[in-house]
Amino acid sequence: MFTMFTLAMRSVRQRPGRFAATLLSAFLGAAIIMTFNSMHDTAGAPGVDSVSANTLSTAAGVVGGYGTLLVFFAVASTLTVNVRQRSAEIELLRCSGATPAQLKRMVVGEAVAVALVGALLAVGPAMLGGRVLLDVFQDSGQVAESVDHTFGPIALFSGLDITVLAAAGAAFLAVRRATSGRRRSRGRGRTFLVRGSLALGGLAICITFVLSSTDAALMAPPAYGAILLSVGLALLSPGLLRSLLGRLPLRGPSGYPAVHGLRARTAELAGVMVPLTLFIGMATATLYMQGVENDAIDAAGVPKSVDAKNLETLNLTVVGIIVVFSCIMLVNSLYAATTYRRREFGQQRLAGATPGQVLGMVGIESLVLTVTGVVLGTGAALAGIVSFTTVRTDSVLPDRGLGIWLGVVAVAVAATMGTSLVTAWRVVRTPAISAVALAA
Amino acid sequence: MFRRTGTDRRTHSKGDHGKGAHGAGGHGAGAADVALRLVKVSKTYGSDDSAVTALDEVTLSLARGTFTAVMGPSGSGKSTLLQCAAGLDRPDSGIVTVDGAEMTGGTEAELTKFRRNRIGFVFQQYNLLDTLTVAQNTVLPLKLARRRVNRDRVRETLTAVGLGDRLGHRPDQLSGGQRQRVAIARALVTEPSVIFADEPTGALDTRSARDVLRLLQDAVRVHGRTVVMVTHDPVAASYADAVLFLADGRLAGEMRRPTVDAVAERLAHLGDDVMAGA
Repeated sequence: MFTMFTLAMRSVRQRPGRFAATLLSAFLGAAIIMTFNSMHDTAGAPGVDSVSANTLSTAAGVVGGYGTLLVFFAVASTLTVNVRQRSAEIELLRCSGATPAQLKRMVVGEAVAVALVGALLAVGPAMLGGRVLLDVFQDSGQVAESVDHTFGPIALFSGLDITVLAAAGAAFLAVRRATSGRRRSRGRGRTFLVRGSLALGGLAICITFVLSSTDAALMAPPAYGAILLSVGLALLSPGLLRSLLGRLPLRGPSGYPAVHGLRARTAELAGVMVPLTLFIGMATATLYMQGVENDAIDAAGVPKSVDAKNLETLNLTVVGIIVVFSCIMLVNSLYAATTYRRREFGQQRLAGATPGQVLGMVGIESLVLTVTGVVLGTGAALAGIVSFTTVRTDSVLPDRGLGIWLGVVAVAVAATMGTSLVTAWRVVRTPAISAVALAA
Repeated sequence: MFRRTGTDRRTHSKGDHGKGAHGAGGHGAGAADVALRLVKVSKTYGSDDSAVTALDEVTLSLARGTFTAVMGPSGSGKSTLLQCAAGLDRPDSGIVTVDGAEMTGGTEAELTKFRRNRIGFVFQQYNLLDTLTVAQNTVLPLKLARRRVNRDRVRETLTAVGLGDRLGHRPDQLSGGQRQRVAIARALVTEPSVIFADEPTGALDTRSARDVLRLLQDAVRVHGRTVVMVTHDPVAASYADAVLFLADGRLAGEMRRPTVDAVAERLAHLGDDVMAGA
């Protein structure tokens, strides 16, 4: 035990850069969880009226729940990448006599240490963030002016506990995959996940139609439906791409390897497609539904109730959080996937590809991925938006124009293409012959 | 850009320059018959105290249609020689010409274009793309250079290396020897002036190694290519027309019509020669 812990600490100290992505996810996750859970502390303070307390607790409950899930996914994504990049080191330790249990302790120990540092760093920002959040609630009249911000034990301990536990769990799963030695077949689990999320998503969309147009919870089923459909479609996308790619008219010197490379790697693309599709589906659905909701309230000619304002604040916050985390996961997965291909790029260059052609190939690949993500995400979002708009108003589509959608797509394109191309450009700068030798 | 003084490469592709047994030194050969020429090529790694001179003013020229092995102990500079001659690395000084065209230190893209039209590679680790099939790997250099792909010719080449029935296989479905034969086919389809082979048999069993070496011989005798092979294996070297010995970054002798025993003997005493010469 002691040995592995020492090794873990050494590893973190000597190569802090490798843990940057994990640290960032833990830090942001902990900051969000603590910021919102400090609303629990604030609500629990003596002398807070019930309307204010209700607003604060709802905000804390909803976003805190999302936050936990997101921390887990983001940390899991960064750790999976981290473990895969270190497969050589882990293999070396295995050959030197480390048992799988020892390796597990090492990786989990590292993850816990990094997560703890991230969570502690987040305490200060979360205190400030909590104060700002309370101000927002007070400015909009959702919380009484007399309420003071409290950063108490609930915020602190939930932040630390959730972040550290999520990191430990994610690390455990990541290392189990790396050390089990043989490939587990994931086919059945994947199929179940796809069918489950698509069925639940469809069900959630259907539930929307059962609700009445003024139901307070009307926005929840289509929003969850859009999320689940995004995930289900993203998991389906590798198979979809495989059959579509054969028909793409991409020939040229960059298009040819791009298409064949993508077809052969479709199974690994889920790690990129899920955050990409989720980001587009979630952001588009929530932003348009909130727009429709605002228009409907305006049309009714009544002033916005506290609940309506709460809902808007929460929606926008949740979108913001998901955008940030999806971007972290997307950038991290793409960065890892591209760096991992150093040897492949070297081989292509030895076969006569210029650096420009390699970048062209990466560009085409990311374009195909982005377009797929945009199509699937928009489809999932449309399912949610159409069902919500139909029930809430008389029309089928929101009267909002394409501006929001274009903005969401622009962010997705920038993140996907930017990360892939910049990473590939850095990888291509190594001479081809050493790129091939390094990984050999 | 690159200056071309030689005649067009494609006119020499029919094997009509069958000077297979001509030997490597070829100093007397006319400029048009020289496939590869190095003039005072030097390369130093590191700086100041830790500097290592991998190549020390190496000058050589190889005639078209010859099969030359480059041998030497570890650290003698044979890999550096191959990389500098093949445009994979830039020499600190000196001139490299392939088929009469001088290789200059342009951009990486210019170097790549120079390489892909004149040079073929065969590596110890094959360096085939796992995502492409045998046929796709073979035509990749043509696709990248935007050259026309003659399917029949590709099939012919792959059949000639014994893989006519494996066109749709992926590299990971092939044995090491089969992979190396794909690599040879890939090096042949672009009809390069010079094929560089870096320890092509280093990862193979003796039977596969023999097949690969025979194919390299055929590349010279049947297709009229020029082959330069870096190896540490006297058996592999005995398939060549001539052996160049390298020690401490300098040429340390040449042997024509090498035999396994003679090469092994010479290698064993290579250190002595250098000591005596110093």
